[in-house]
Amino acid sequence: METLDHVLYGFGVALQPENLLFVLIGVLVGTIIGILPGLGPMSAIALMIPIAFGMDPTPAIIMLAGVYYGAIFGGSTSSILLNAPGVAGTVATSFDGYPMARNGEAGKALAIAAISSFVGGTIGIVGLMLIAPGLSGIAVSFGPAEYFALMVLGLTAVVTLAGKNVTKGLIAAVFGVIVALVGIDGQTATLRFTFGLSELYEGIEFLIVALGLFALAEVFVMIARRGAGSEFRRVTSLRLSRKEVTAIAPPTLRGSVLGFFVGVLPGAGATVASFLSYSMEKRIARDGDTFGKGNIKGVAAPESANNAACVGSFVPLLTLGVPGSGTTAILLGALLVLNVQPGPLMLSDRPEVFWGVVASMYIGTLVLLLLNLPLIPLFAKVLKTPRAMLIPLVVVFCVVGVYGLSFSTFDLWLLLGFGVIGFAMRANGFPAAPMILGLILGGLMERSLRQALQISGGDWTVFATKPIPAALLALAVLSLLPAVLATVRRRRGKDVVELVEQRRG
Amino acid sequence: MSTSRRLTAGAFAGAVALVASACNTTATAEGADWQPTKAIEMIAPANTGGGWDTLARTSARVLEEADLIDRPMRVVNKPGAGGAIGWAYIANNAADPHKLFVTSPPILLVPLSGESDHDHTDFTPIARLATDAMVYMVAENSPFTSFEQVIDALLDDPTSLSVAGGSAPGSMDHVALAGAAHAAGVDAAQLNYVAFDGGGEATTALLGGHVDLAVSGVAETTGLIDGGKVRVLAVSSPEPRETLPDVPTLQQLGIDFTFDIWRGVMGPSGLTPEQVAYYEGMYAEMVETSQWQASVEQFGWVDDYLGSADFGAFLDEKREEFADILSQVGLR
Repeated sequence: METLDHVLYGFGVALQPENLLFVLIGVLVGTIIGILPGLGPMSAIALMIPIAFGMDPTPAIIMLAGVYYGAIFGGSTSSILLNAPGVAGTVATSFDGYPMARNGEAGKALAIAAISSFVGGTIGIVGLMLIAPGLSGIAVSFGPAEYFALMVLGLTAVVTLAGKNVTKGLIAAVFGVIVALVGIDGQTATLRFTFGLSELYEGIEFLIVALGLFALAEVFVMIARRGAGSEFRRVTSLRLSRKEVTAIAPPTLRGSVLGFFVGVLPGAGATVASFLSYSMEKRIARDGDTFGKGNIKGVAAPESANNAACVGSFVPLLTLGVPGSGTTAILLGALLVLNVQPGPLMLSDRPEVFWGVVASMYIGTLVLLLLNLPLIPLFAKVLKTPRAMLIPLVVVFCVVGVYGLSFSTFDLWLLLGFGVIGFAMRANGFPAAPMILGLILGGLMERSLRQALQISGGDWTVFATKPIPAALLALAVLSLLPAVLATVRRRRGKDVVELVEQRRG
Repeated sequence: MSTSRRLTAGAFAGAVALVASACNTTATAEGADWQPTKAIEMIAPANTGGGWDTLARTSARVLEEADLIDRPMRVVNKPGAGGAIGWAYIANNAADPHKLFVTSPPILLVPLSGESDHDHTDFTPIARLATDAMVYMVAENSPFTSFEQVIDALLDDPTSLSVAGGSAPGSMDHVALAGAAHAAGVDAAQLNYVAFDGGGEATTALLGGHVDLAVSGVAETTGLIDGGKVRVLAVSSPEPRETLPDVPTLQQLGIDFTFDIWRGVMGPSGLTPEQVAYYEGMYAEMVETSQWQASVEQFGWVDDYLGSADFGAFLDEKREEFADILSQVGLR
């Protein structure tokens, strides 16, 4: 009952006219910036911070939080329509969202993204309200060994994401891991793969790779085909049939719960959550082989997960004062400037901020759904733009988004480089998804592995004796078994055939 | 205490202004024969939201609110390479009196690790403004209740405890740990220092029981300290912190080491004495304003003003000290 009192109190705060106004402003700005390719929650919040600094803490944080989840909510739009992810967390959405758009189902893909984002956000908020104080225990239960095991489990998805040619998928994944290692090594402060370029010291920004590999490569493909065969089919209705709703309900619910818990872990976050959810659904779905070709579940799974994770990331931020991502680190800085000290005492010291923000998220998520659904037909019209205009527009958005990351022209050359790499990969049948997966999970995996071994003094048994890593690694091995068995069976079949042929010969 | 500090700082600034005008035959009595002629760019060599950004934005806001500056001061973020990108930008704009940048120990540590083409001698010190301290802490359920116990354990076997920090070896957290351990007689090169990505991840690892000890800035961990989730065993500042009255300093524990996260302002090389005097005077006045005092208290900093010449000498001295510590741990 105490929780109910808190929740009602929170809504009392959030529904005050001033706070209501700032929820609206926050989600509106967030979703617009999220929709623009290349501009994500980081740039959105950075843009709003100077405004927030002049405000009272509660409306200011309500607004900044709105900008954050609004950007994640809107980020799927450009992933689906242009194959140009606006937000790192929505890269996985483009795997099936963009093929859907090409099949003429852009409206439907956008609607699924909006609905599953709403469900994910809502489930996340309910989780945050009911169990936030207890969740800080989960957030700290993951140390380096646990993160390593989680990343290994995530990386086994390479096999499912690779498509027809597993070898090419593995090569792409390894390349992704290599890109993740560029920069100053955190464990030894050694420079790796930087070639004397100080611009590479802090590594390569994920979004540059994603925009190059997906959006720019797509532009090159369009140009190479000179428009032939790249027309989108007519845009069909955005209405979902009952069958489709039943199909996406389980992935959405699973994605929401998974996403929320991954979001609670300070080391993971929305991007990792969306990839884990996508690969989990691809594996357990009966029609898993149609993932990547425009399967509606492939849109629902990452979208529900990234929004739930975004809400989940507020758990370590508010209850421990520990930021889980670059975006929440900026939010933490803003909270401190506004004289709000997040931490274990925040629930008792500043209940109006905590419960007010949580309740405002519920209102904000609802507003986002109501705001986005009617706009879908309008957004889908983007696809009717003539190629000759759409191509320069995508290039401009990519350039602006990348330049906005750190105002460096060097990053633009990187963007071009990854665009060329992406094009070459596609021309030679190397899938981009495993490379992105390697890039996201590989860096974290390597770092966690070395931290875990540093702590244990080089003793590898920590991964087997601690319960969480042992369970996760066992799961990783199990999830690889079907693929391995299938290969072995195929081999053996081939051997028998060869043997028979030899005898005949 | 803060009044006396302010008085000292004021008297000090006055003295510096006198010295500056005395040294310079062309300078007028007021030392105000140079004024900015256009907007001033204040570079934060990091992203928005970090410590440098906070200092740049806060000081720019106070300067404008208190009417201490005629021209607008614009904060520009030049993130990358732990600050080296922003420093390179300033170095490429030598003698431009309309570009300043905020600074702290990484201006010494990053070049010492060989990760920047420029070091502090390539820039003109303007003023040191405030400082913050490091804390050495354990989780609330840790068997350690005093820093002496930690040192005893490390003296027995320097590898026996894992210590989390939020930055790579050779940067602030590691130097604060290695310096204290070395001063206590521990072989600092043997320490099991585990580098995490930011103070947040380091403290999470501490809370989850994955590491034994953590080193972090005071301001970053105030929430956890107040919430009783962590136990602070020692603080690195020369004097005890007002907000942590029960926590001993290293020196009180008989360990001759201090570590300050000082924060200040520097400019490009080749500034004229008049230009330096202008900015120095401006910041000397700024640290006296009530707006600045309020911000200092809010961020948990301590006032620590030093003028240009003293700040320069301080930087040279700290560089030697850091170089020593880095050689102890085998990073140089």
